Amino acid sequence: MHIAEGFLPPAHAIAWGVASAPFVVHGVRSLTREVREHPESTLLLGASGAFTFVLSALKLPSVTGSCSHPTGTGLGAILFRPPIMAVLGTITLLFQALLLAHGGLTTLGANVFSMAIVGPWVGYAVYKLLRRYDVPLMVAVFFGAFFADLSTYCVTSVQLALAFPDPSSGFLGALGKFGSIFAITQLPLAVSEGLLTVLVMRLLVQSSKGELTRLGVLVAGKRDTTTEAVAR
Amino acid sequence: MLPIDEAAHSSRWRRRHPVDKAVLGLGLTVLAISLPPWPGAALVLLTSLVVLLGPAGVPRRRLWRAYRVPLGFCVTGALPLLVQVGGPDGFVTLAEGGPVRAAELLLRTSAASLGVLLFAFTTPMSDLLPRLVRAGVPAPVVDVALVTYRMSFLLLDSVRRIRDAQAARLGHTTRAATWRSLAGLGATAFVRAFDRAARLQTGLAGRGYDGTLRVLVPEARVSVRFTTVSVVLLAAVAALTFVLERPLT
Repeated sequence: MHIAEGFLPPAHAIAWGVASAPFVVHGVRSLTREVREHPESTLLLGASGAFTFVLSALKLPSVTGSCSHPTGTGLGAILFRPPIMAVLGTITLLFQALLLAHGGLTTLGANVFSMAIVGPWVGYAVYKLLRRYDVPLMVAVFFGAFFADLSTYCVTSVQLALAFPDPSSGFLGALGKFGSIFAITQLPLAVSEGLLTVLVMRLLVQSSKGELTRLGVLVAGKRDTTTEAVAR
Repeated sequence: MLPIDEAAHSSRWRRRHPVDKAVLGLGLTVLAISLPPWPGAALVLLTSLVVLLGPAGVPRRRLWRAYRVPLGFCVTGALPLLVQVGGPDGFVTLAEGGPVRAAELLLRTSAASLGVLLFAFTTPMSDLLPRLVRAGVPAPVVDVALVTYRMSFLLLDSVRRIRDAQAARLGHTTRAATWRSLAGLGATAFVRAFDRAARLQTGLAGRGYDGTLRVLVPEARVSVRFTTVSVVLLAAVAALTFVLERPLT
């Protein structure tokens, strides 16, 4: 799902970098303000970044029998909020490009836009919307992670279709082509990531109530955590 | 430590300033995507390989193990260009000029990947990150990236050991058990990350932590000679491309 190094023409690479910049700058400002007010947050945010990096290295069994890795964008957005995820996602993508040869530097802007901006924002929006209508926490978490994953793939398809329009049917044909290729593999993976995120969140609710309360995912002082209002 | 970073720490060019290596490695990447794929990207690919295996001294096997990852993405990414949708001959048919476009894309991406690998295989992240402050990246972001970088290795190590322990307890024998183990792995990684952060915070507080992480950066100066030679090499690749330029058929 990462767009590989050199895959996009220079104009597209620059354009996606420009499109991502305001979101990343907004995230950097939020992060800088947070660190200035609470210096200890540097370590917490660093730990969150490391968690996101490690999460993307987990092998996820796929329905087709092969395996892939979770994007972690849904869980990251629910835990750390989208502006912070824009920065943590950018750092993670930079590390993946330089340490794992996964993604790229020229395609960093495009990958940041799909994985660190659109994915987290869509996932968080779905999650918040469902929680507003008192949908149970785990159901909201599932759909948050599912749509975060799915929207990431949709944006990647759009990015590829814009860069490589079909010779016969243009942008729409290319969108259908890339979208259908992704759909075969990524729809089951989005379901898998949703399920995994629910399982992880269930364990976290049992074992790390303190951290989740500190992050604002759970509200302190209530006994039944599965029905907590998520107000942030 | 991850294999590329490990190789970077023992690289011949480890003591060179990151700017030196960025001019050469990232310059080759920029050329790969800017020049006509044939013969531009092919020349970049050849130049990068010669520099990587020659002066930079990157072991052949390590390079291949790292390079096959982006190469796989390049090949699968180029395949959709071979077909077109909705032409007069059918819904999905072979695209006219598709093989040429796919070959050009393959050349461009494989050459660009090698340029970045040249930089990554010679520049440890611990040399690069602290210097980003001088490039205008806010210090708090660099500090978070530094903590992320250092904590990633510890967490990856923990995850590996937990996975081994789960496998020893038959945690991966059935699909249901695999899912349970995977969820446990993710949750444990989260708990350990936050636990480490809390312990690190306590330790740093005892040493007068004021919100800034001060780390020692190996001293290095930008080499005018190295940078000049790199720029000349890049210019030569670009010039040769325009001399030899012919459409790929």
